[in-house]
Amino acid sequence: MLRTALVSVLLALAAYASATWLTHDFQVWTAEGARRLEVALHPIDAPPVPVDGPGLALQPLAQWLAAPRTVTVVDFIYTRCETVCLSLGGIFQQMQASLRQDRAAALKAADASDAAIVRLLSISFDGAHDTPAVLQAYAAQMQADPALWHFARVPDNAQLQQLLRRFQVVVVPDGRGDFEHNAALLVVDARGRLVRVFDTTEQQLALDYARHLARTAPP
Amino acid sequence: MTLHPPRATSAMLPATSAAPAPWRRALAALPAACTPARQWPTGLVLLALLAVPGLRQLLEASMARHMLLQFPLFMLAGALLAGGLGAGGRRAVARWNGHGISGLVATGLVLSLLMVPRALDLALLSPAIELAKCAALVLTGVALRLSWQPAGWLVQGFFLGNLLPMMAVAGQLYIDSPVRVCNAYLLDDQVQLGQWLVRLAAALAFGWLALVAIALVRKENAAQDSVPIPPRAG
Repeated sequence: MLRTALVSVLLALAAYASATWLTHDFQVWTAEGARRLEVALHPIDAPPVPVDGPGLALQPLAQWLAAPRTVTVVDFIYTRCETVCLSLGGIFQQMQASLRQDRAAALKAADASDAAIVRLLSISFDGAHDTPAVLQAYAAQMQADPALWHFARVPDNAQLQQLLRRFQVVVVPDGRGDFEHNAALLVVDARGRLVRVFDTTEQQLALDYARHLARTAPP
Repeated sequence: MTLHPPRATSAMLPATSAAPAPWRRALAALPAACTPARQWPTGLVLLALLAVPGLRQLLEASMARHMLLQFPLFMLAGALLAGGLGAGGRRAVARWNGHGISGLVATGLVLSLLMVPRALDLALLSPAIELAKCAALVLTGVALRLSWQPAGWLVQGFFLGNLLPMMAVAGQLYIDSPVRVCNAYLLDDQVQLGQWLVRLAAALAFGWLALVAIALVRKENAAQDSVPIPPRAG
């Protein structure tokens, strides 16, 4: 019986260790929770996959994202989407309105040249359908301000998969021609690193965090 | 175990065909065919089938199939493999598994860990985690087979009393969650899995209670039969 007790205790300890690892010290239960925690603890460099879009010549994403005193809020969409991407679009519209006010205030201030910039980027994961022309039409439909809200796609599918893997964006076809995806607001800092992932319900928090990052970023 | 010969049962039904249906004969022959010598190769074959990439993807494409079909199939493969263990091996295991407690503890812990939603997502993304998951499930099957009989009703009841409510609660959480707990699966799928987890927990609880009740009634009958009926006075 002593042996049985010993084995049981060892098993319990092993399970406790596994559970600690699996749930990041019992903080998260889902892969999405773990993703957000991991990004906050260890920022992820954007991969140098080539992207293009309306007003965006083909260039590596990492290079476009890395701009002095500029923080980018990124979301992943596809233009045929009629559910969660529309709500993401609505969130980006509201953010765009706030950012326009920021810009107007910065212009009034004396030194507008080195003002901190927060911009928005919607990346389509349906690169085959969402060509720059389709994205252009979508941007017009969303009343996107071309100076603030940018659209891009990854033309090459292998490169797209690399980007989705790196940022842990999981896209599942739902069998009705649509995609289910872990929609979120991704904040990328001036060095082109993904530093925080916010839930779509935390839009104000995401915006304030991005503004704070842009203000405190070294020029 | 006594089985009615298939001819007797079909004779009681309105006669549509004289010969018993082939599936009845196959069913009656099943217990005799499942000798331990045949079980472990069957387990190996099942394991090999489950490892085939196409079948694995098919089973893992839906959350409900992943948890409620693939998990039990791996455990079944493990249980069949355990049939290949000789009497000496069983005795050696039993020394470390008094009343089947170690085995049931292992089973409970593995199944609890695998109910964490992140485990499912990780198994799809990381081959190492997938391998660990499958190995743990096979070992769980082995452990259950070697521990269930030695455990007796008391330990079985304690084990099920912990595991089944946990299953039902996890199921209810899956049903109620407004967000997807697994990035790789759809919300409908999650609700379906939750409903099946609750049903399965209830079915297992009733099934086990029924087994205990049947065994108790048999024991009572046996006890009554063995007591000589005193001759009536008068």
